[in-house]
Amino acid sequence: MIRIALKTFFAHKLRLTMTALSIMFGVAFIAGTFIFTDTIDKSFGDLFEDAFAGQDVIVQTATEFDVGFSGPPPLDEQVLDVVRGVPGVEAAEGQVGGFAIIYDKSGNAIVPTGPPTIGGSWTEDERLLGNVNIREGRRPEGPAEVTIDARTADDNGFAVGDTVTVQTQTGVADFELVAIVGFGEADNLAGATFAGFELATAQEVLGLGGLYSSITVVADADTTPEAVQAGIASAVPANIEAVLATDEAADQTEALQEGLSFIRTGLLVFAIVAVFVASFIIQNTFRIIVRQRQRELALFRAVGATGAQVVRTVVIEALLVALLASVAGILFGFVISQGLTAMMSSIGWDIPSTTAPLAMRTIIIGMAVGVLVTVVAALLPAMRAARIPPVAALRDTDVQLRMSDRTRSVVGLAMLAIGVGLIVAGLFGDVLDLGPLNELTAVGLGALGVFLAVSVLSSTAVKPLARVIGWPLPKLDRLTGTMALENSVRKPRRTATTASALMIGLALVTFFFIFAESIKASAGSAIEEGLRADYVISVDGFAGGFSPELANELETLPEVDTVSRLRLGFWDNQGTEDLLMAVDDATIEEAVFLDVQAGSLAGLAEGGVLVYEDAAKDNGWVVGDTIEMGFTSTGLQEVEIAGIYGAQDVVQTNYVVGLDFYDANFSGFGTDLDMVVAVKTAPDVEAATARGSIEAAAADFPNATVRDQGEYRQAQEDQVNQMLLLFNGLLFLAVIIALFGITNTLWLSVFERTREVGLLRAVGMSRWQVRRMVLWESIIVAVIGAVLGIAVGTFFGVVVTAALAGQGTDVLAVPIASIIGLVVFGAVVGVLASLAPARKAAGLNILEAITYE
Amino acid sequence: MTTITAPKTGFAAARMERGEKVYGEGSTAVRALDLITAEFEARQFTAIMGPSGSGKSTLLHCLAGLDTLTDGEVWINEIELGSLKDKDLTLLRREKVGFVFQAFNLIPTLSARENVLLPLLIAGTKPDQEWFDQVVGILGLEDRLAHRPAELSGGEQQRVAAARALVSRPAIVFADEPSGNLDTRSAAELLDFMRRAVKEFGQTIIMVTHDPVAASYADRIVFLRDGKIVDELLKPTANSVIDRMKQLGG
Repeated sequence: MIRIALKTFFAHKLRLTMTALSIMFGVAFIAGTFIFTDTIDKSFGDLFEDAFAGQDVIVQTATEFDVGFSGPPPLDEQVLDVVRGVPGVEAAEGQVGGFAIIYDKSGNAIVPTGPPTIGGSWTEDERLLGNVNIREGRRPEGPAEVTIDARTADDNGFAVGDTVTVQTQTGVADFELVAIVGFGEADNLAGATFAGFELATAQEVLGLGGLYSSITVVADADTTPEAVQAGIASAVPANIEAVLATDEAADQTEALQEGLSFIRTGLLVFAIVAVFVASFIIQNTFRIIVRQRQRELALFRAVGATGAQVVRTVVIEALLVALLASVAGILFGFVISQGLTAMMSSIGWDIPSTTAPLAMRTIIIGMAVGVLVTVVAALLPAMRAARIPPVAALRDTDVQLRMSDRTRSVVGLAMLAIGVGLIVAGLFGDVLDLGPLNELTAVGLGALGVFLAVSVLSSTAVKPLARVIGWPLPKLDRLTGTMALENSVRKPRRTATTASALMIGLALVTFFFIFAESIKASAGSAIEEGLRADYVISVDGFAGGFSPELANELETLPEVDTVSRLRLGFWDNQGTEDLLMAVDDATIEEAVFLDVQAGSLAGLAEGGVLVYEDAAKDNGWVVGDTIEMGFTSTGLQEVEIAGIYGAQDVVQTNYVVGLDFYDANFSGFGTDLDMVVAVKTAPDVEAATARGSIEAAAADFPNATVRDQGEYRQAQEDQVNQMLLLFNGLLFLAVIIALFGITNTLWLSVFERTREVGLLRAVGMSRWQVRRMVLWESIIVAVIGAVLGIAVGTFFGVVVTAALAGQGTDVLAVPIASIIGLVVFGAVVGVLASLAPARKAAGLNILEAITYE
Repeated sequence: MTTITAPKTGFAAARMERGEKVYGEGSTAVRALDLITAEFEARQFTAIMGPSGSGKSTLLHCLAGLDTLTDGEVWINEIELGSLKDKDLTLLRREKVGFVFQAFNLIPTLSARENVLLPLLIAGTKPDQEWFDQVVGILGLEDRLAHRPAELSGGEQQRVAAARALVSRPAIVFADEPSGNLDTRSAAELLDFMRRAVKEFGQTIIMVTHDPVAASYADRIVFLRDGKIVDELLKPTANSVIDRMKQLGG
């Protein structure tokens, strides 16, 4: 039986090519995700190793919590003398680190999306430099000298001797570039920009006069790092710790990898979608193959093969395809990984380059998924094949082995009910209290259930759908249009499965369209309500801020009435990292409408916290309760809830504190920067005049953008659009796989209708007419997929939007134009999918076709 | 579409000049048609007979423009097929030629009416309603026009195919074992109709068959063996055909 399976496999290479391609792409997406994220992990591991190379022990303030980028509070300079006095210490030096933005030659801020912009002191003692090396020039020695990383220098055409403008929290200043540095082999630190100054200058510009962020230590030849670590620990006060550099490197790597694990999870979700789509193609292909080999398989049965043996021939064929396709898929994963890197860098996430690792886990999971999905998908058609009666070998009739329509409807409706139930339970499941992870899983499984249900049910809906969608065709193109329409509904089940594969991708696209549109609409109306200020000054990108000097300058302007600063902070909320926004309690009311529903803003001045109503409700908190907030600088703090607020669209966090509270509990990297400054202009000043002076003030801080209400709203929309583009880009592969599916089905259908095509050609149909016939059919199938996808996606969009009402989607908005665009896109997919099969059909040799047995 | 007036008897609707068809090369070459020269008169019902492998189907395919000769010429209505490109051959088949095959004559997704009108639908021309009614009437298909092929009997299916072959008033109809899959009665009905089409409408028909009874409906029988025309019989009867076959076979 194995030999027979092998023979049929090689005899039918072509019809399995498209199937193999769909498996390959699915596996490639999974493998690519692992390779890509492994590459990220590895590159960060390498970089932290480089960053701490040459150092043995790090001395810094001990902290209970380590959240955000801020790092521990600084140390007094005197600690250095203590450390230097510890036996076994060969060299020790104080370091400062902070925030510094480098400007390019045309005055624009160089701000990578994601990685930070680091400013720091240049290590004088070469024994402590480790892998940090000067590629060109000499180390900074004077107050007007700077060194920058090689990547920033290369990308922006800086050479030693140039003047470089740098913004730090104390303002903007020009420096002479004296050195370009590398970090081991790498040109920068994990995508971060770096500006290094001589120690005293660094302390001054980073606002750390007389302080060190940390002290780096190297042990002498006779002493182990551990011994030095122990010696320092006993010499310094209890609030200061000494950690091994290797431990610190590992800790930071791990923390970063954990922080980035959402990328892997997110990509895997899209990879699973691609595999799921591929499984439809596989199942359909094998069903058609079994149908076409019906007589052959019946002949096996007639000459004594058991049903199990028939199953085996089909499954072995599937296994062979799966093995070959999975191996190809894992290799192609490297290409996908490259594509993901390019995609990430297009939205500003620079992944430091390193060799892409192929972990054993990637191979195992890739192979397992490819093989399992294929074999499972082929099993159903195989089992059906085993039920073909031997007598079918003698007759050329289509043996009906399908479920009856009634059974299908029952099964489909049951699946639909389960799917919708899971989604609703997941989305509105406060009652069940599933926990966030289980809720997401329930929604995901529910979505899979809905997709399966729709694909099962749609075989009965295909006929009416095709009639509606194909309605203009007979008018457009009488004969070929009519025949295409008829052909598309000849095998409703086949059409339904083929269309369903496209449905999945387009449903998710539709969902993202609706969800994004709703977020935009909701945010838009919320910003109109919530933003009282006339102008908002903020930075683009996920993190960072600008020097408080900007707000200071604005406060001096006569055209400006109120200046309100907002700062972002990370804190530890019961073990998970959370965000808060610090606001100026004196001016916030004039700038931002927080909709305080209980308590008052006044409590902020006394060190209280405002909690967003949903967070308060989830935790059962009321005004006057005390919550525990963990900060890197000050550890665990008991904070009283001063009020509950109902509008978070501008502050975008669940917790709001006062600026004094913020200053008391935050220190270190980037915490002295303003994230947003809201400005209200004086009543009698003309808008153009006011804007002119505000922009003039902001001109010194190029990373800060001045926007009025409308522009601010637009900027928020642009961010949503960017995410939408990213998600839809990731769904592209699923759509490509579906396209292969349509091609494959058409190909097999053309093969099945060889005689029919031959007859049509014999009685005078031109090649072009044959092509058109296949083309129209393809368009009908694809548009059915698009319409089903839009229907399902709209359902998802409506339900999810409703579930998240109050968390950013109060308004349901459906982007009609984009959705109509999807139908057109579906038609284009249909055209592309038809090209090869149409050519094949048109090129059939008439004589062979009509004498074909 | 221009109405094709049937040429006068004595005029060749189709002819082959030193037609040669060779499959394969060298020592394994098979000569399916061996320098055949033949004329098929207009308004005549010609049957081509011969044992399996005699080349009768190849002759039909080459005459009809479905297959090309290795050497020699084929003319339909004084048009030489060898000089035609695929597009022109397609047009020729659509306008000048009708086909009835042994099986799989109809498109399963189209109704009987649409199947009859297929060549006209392909061409996008309006049917001659009177002629359509007449053909369908003679074939007794009036009540079956709305049905799909799967709902028709074998005899009805072949009659639909015959109607299709005639409805575009082609210069010539080629039939390849048209009654091969039919029971005796259905076969007789179909062949009788084909003879009437020649007698009453002046249709030209060339039919390949191995059945002496079917061949006896023709005006003329051409016998083929090993790719050569070996004999000819005019105004045959079933018995005279059988006798002649015996002579040729022996």
